[in-house]
Amino acid sequence: MASVGDAAASEDQRATLADGASRRSFAWLGVAPFFAFALLFLIGPTVYLVFGAFQDPTGALTLQNIFDLFTPQIMAAYQISIEVSLASALFGALFGFFIAYAIVHGNLPTWVRPTVVTFSGVASNFAGIPLAFAFLATLGRLGLVTLFFRHALGINIYSYGFNLLSFSGLTITYLYFQIPLMVLIIAPALDGMKREWREAASVLGASRGQYWRMVALPVLAPSLLGCFLLLFANSFGAVATAYALTGSSLNIVPILLYAQIRGDVLYNPNLGYALAFGMIVITGCTNLLYLWLRARAERWQR
Amino acid sequence: MKKSLPIGPIVVVVLAALYFVLPLIATLNFSLSMLRGVWSFEAYRVVFHDERFRSTFTFSVVAALCTIVLGALLIVPTAYWVRLKFPRMRPLVEFITLLPLVIPPIVLVFGYIRLYNSSSILPFTGSAMGTNVLLVLGYVVLSLPYMFRAVDTGMAAIDIRTLTEAAESLGAKRTTILFGVILPNVKAAVLSGAFLTFAIVMGEFVLASLLNRPAFGPYLALMGANRAYEPAALAVIAFAVTWVCMGMLQVFGSQTPGRRRSGRSLFRFARRANR
Amino acid sequence: MTQFHKRAAALAAALSLSTAIVAQAQAAGNQSMDDLVAAAKKEGQLTTIALPHDWCNYGEMIDGFKKKYGLTVNELNPNAGSGDEIQAIKANKGNTGPQAPDVIDVGLSFGPTAAKDGLLMPYKVSTWDEIPDDAKASDGAWYGDYYGVLAFQVNKDIVDNVPKDWSDLMNSDYANAVALAGDPRSSNQAIQAVYAAGLAAKPDGKPEEVADAGLDFFKKLNKAGNFVPVVGSTATLAQGTTPILIHWDYNALASRDTLKGNPKTEVVVPNSGVVAGVYVQGISAYAPHPNAAKLWMEYLYSDEGQLTWLKGYCHPIRFNAMSKAGKIPQDLLDKLPPASAYEKAKFPSLDAQNAAKAEITGKWDSVVGATVK
Repeated sequence: MASVGDAAASEDQRATLADGASRRSFAWLGVAPFFAFALLFLIGPTVYLVFGAFQDPTGALTLQNIFDLFTPQIMAAYQISIEVSLASALFGALFGFFIAYAIVHGNLPTWVRPTVVTFSGVASNFAGIPLAFAFLATLGRLGLVTLFFRHALGINIYSYGFNLLSFSGLTITYLYFQIPLMVLIIAPALDGMKREWREAASVLGASRGQYWRMVALPVLAPSLLGCFLLLFANSFGAVATAYALTGSSLNIVPILLYAQIRGDVLYNPNLGYALAFGMIVITGCTNLLYLWLRARAERWQR
Repeated sequence: MKKSLPIGPIVVVVLAALYFVLPLIATLNFSLSMLRGVWSFEAYRVVFHDERFRSTFTFSVVAALCTIVLGALLIVPTAYWVRLKFPRMRPLVEFITLLPLVIPPIVLVFGYIRLYNSSSILPFTGSAMGTNVLLVLGYVVLSLPYMFRAVDTGMAAIDIRTLTEAAESLGAKRTTILFGVILPNVKAAVLSGAFLTFAIVMGEFVLASLLNRPAFGPYLALMGANRAYEPAALAVIAFAVTWVCMGMLQVFGSQTPGRRRSGRSLFRFARRANR
Repeated sequence: MTQFHKRAAALAAALSLSTAIVAQAQAAGNQSMDDLVAAAKKEGQLTTIALPHDWCNYGEMIDGFKKKYGLTVNELNPNAGSGDEIQAIKANKGNTGPQAPDVIDVGLSFGPTAAKDGLLMPYKVSTWDEIPDDAKASDGAWYGDYYGVLAFQVNKDIVDNVPKDWSDLMNSDYANAVALAGDPRSSNQAIQAVYAAGLAAKPDGKPEEVADAGLDFFKKLNKAGNFVPVVGSTATLAQGTTPILIHWDYNALASRDTLKGNPKTEVVVPNSGVVAGVYVQGISAYAPHPNAAKLWMEYLYSDEGQLTWLKGYCHPIRFNAMSKAGKIPQDLLDKLPPASAYEKAKFPSLDAQNAAKAEITGKWDSVVGATVK
């Protein structure tokens, strides 16, 4: 009896093993195109960049470019870049979350969601010179809103210390493409928040705050963190808008990088590559932090 | 329960609308001022009369659609399999998808020209069609972060493990599971990724200009170089037309004949079958 | 003839004698014009880069070339900077596809470095000897094409009192008004503007001193609240963010024409600190269509080509020789700012330019650029 059972069991085992093996090989086929694509069209050029960071204009290997990164000007540029990116990612995530929640679970008329979502699609890429110009025409010294406040309400916002051409002005401008990005990416996740959870929580006596703190946010945390990371990287790499708006007064890394790689003048593309390499390192570190946080957040989902 | 007016959401949406619409109004206002002292559509007339506007716009729309299809075909299976079978590979995949955000596109395109020029093994740049293909592949790379994040977030919201097992227990093949079960459930996510991709491709400049393809981005930059009013008109037109195209994408994309939008229908069906 | 033109003419005359012999030999070495046209037509196409149609009337230049010889012109990246053009040549080595530029038009300082890196194919046009010596390489690798001086373009709707000189800009009338048309850490145009401001303050200083004086000027301008750190353009000028824009006179005049009086702008060459900037042409050493490139050069340096540039308000490099020969129509001359404004123009030498650039790009952030908080 036992032997038959054993035989049957081992046959089952063998069957599942074979099945698993074929399934795994099939699965490899599933991810292979992605890696092939990434290798050919993303990693290839990146490797070229990484090598360039460690070469000098004659092609010899050197660490000089990396050392050159630690000059005060470039360090200040990295610092400002990180600060602007953090600020715009934080506020973008916050406001984007509220808007996404409003259109998904806010009981608004049915036409609101598709309109907001498609508008977000367009707005998320409205950047660079057109965006900078639009904000100059709105909040600049002779902008529409500025003039409205001055003539209709008698308030001169510039005399209160507001200046579009500043850190806060740049952050406000960046939000124009950060918020829509957040809305677009977090809305599908909010779709997955089942109404039953809210009902179950209230049946068990939880208040709104407790529901959010103990049920909704833990579920959403990995997605929220992932979106925050994306927003950070998105802002970190944005150059056209900052350049067009604050031009020569704000010193952020992508501007320096562009000045070197495509410079009209003092043109040291290897330093530009080193700058880009530094950006990759920073994004890599942020990614690691995100992974660690996400691992903690996902613990309960196992 | 009495349905009360959702004050909170309404306030949020109205404030957001103000923030997003005002800069557009300012641009529109400037674009209408081309003729001194009068409102006129002169700037728009100049733009529409330009044959290059129509040809470059069409080129970019077609490129965008190709990019979306290719991107979705590449990413949805990858995200699915990584989530299902290779969860430990996920950090690597995520890092790869974040790379395009920090690698300047100018470095990408110089890499392409060097690796795939007319004297290499894969001579993409040797012909116009080959360069178009290379351009679309470059666009897929640029849209990778957004497409992947959208699809991945969408997949996190549905329980793909149970869905897969349910479908398998009903005897479905691999491709049926992917295209018949998973894809419809992440449709909203793929669509939002598609919107982002569309907008990116329409405005993209560096790749198109250095690979010398007649796309919309270089045309925008050319107009903006020395004109004052036409670029503002172009910005408004580009915004409006892209919005309309996305509206059409939304309509065609969310048409699911005979099936409800939520993914729970299959869930319940599977549970019932297994009882 | 103006002092400036007299000096340049004298130089040209003195040197043309010595170069005449070389030119003879060169002309004997060049193909005949007919052969060149035939060879170019066989290639069928010319690839250019960084030639916006509104810059020096390149639009008309390209159309004229196409009509005269029936070649197609493939225009790459009109917004490229000089650095981009050099990079495009390097990146397309071995690529004969349509992304590889045949000819480039770059700032003066890029000519020698590109030649040193072996990126240029030497060629001497038939009118070679009418190009001043300090604006060309002796072996024909690069050669000056046009020049202009830095000028103020003023939006008359916003600014009533038009400034006449650099020192006027410090006036409190011009609060939040003055802008450069580029980033002084990377744009040639902006760097020369800083240099010009320094030249007004220290006309006889060494390049580094002039550069420092320029930086100091902009530091004071920023402190006075007159400087707007936005990268200025025709759009920002018209919209009102940058009502006083400092850029090349040919750009300013073309911009004035585009705006068609809405708003009215005035182009002023400053009384002191007049800096002239020369651009140079070159043929790529890896050009896929070398004969078309050479034909293009012949066209640019022909009378027809030079006058087309003049129509775009750029002073063509053969200006002196041509005006001496009476080849310049009076109505064209009338459209330009008065010749007296150009008398004081200084052409910084290559070494001066390099020294000044190093100074300005290195110190801009610390001296002028406030860390924006």
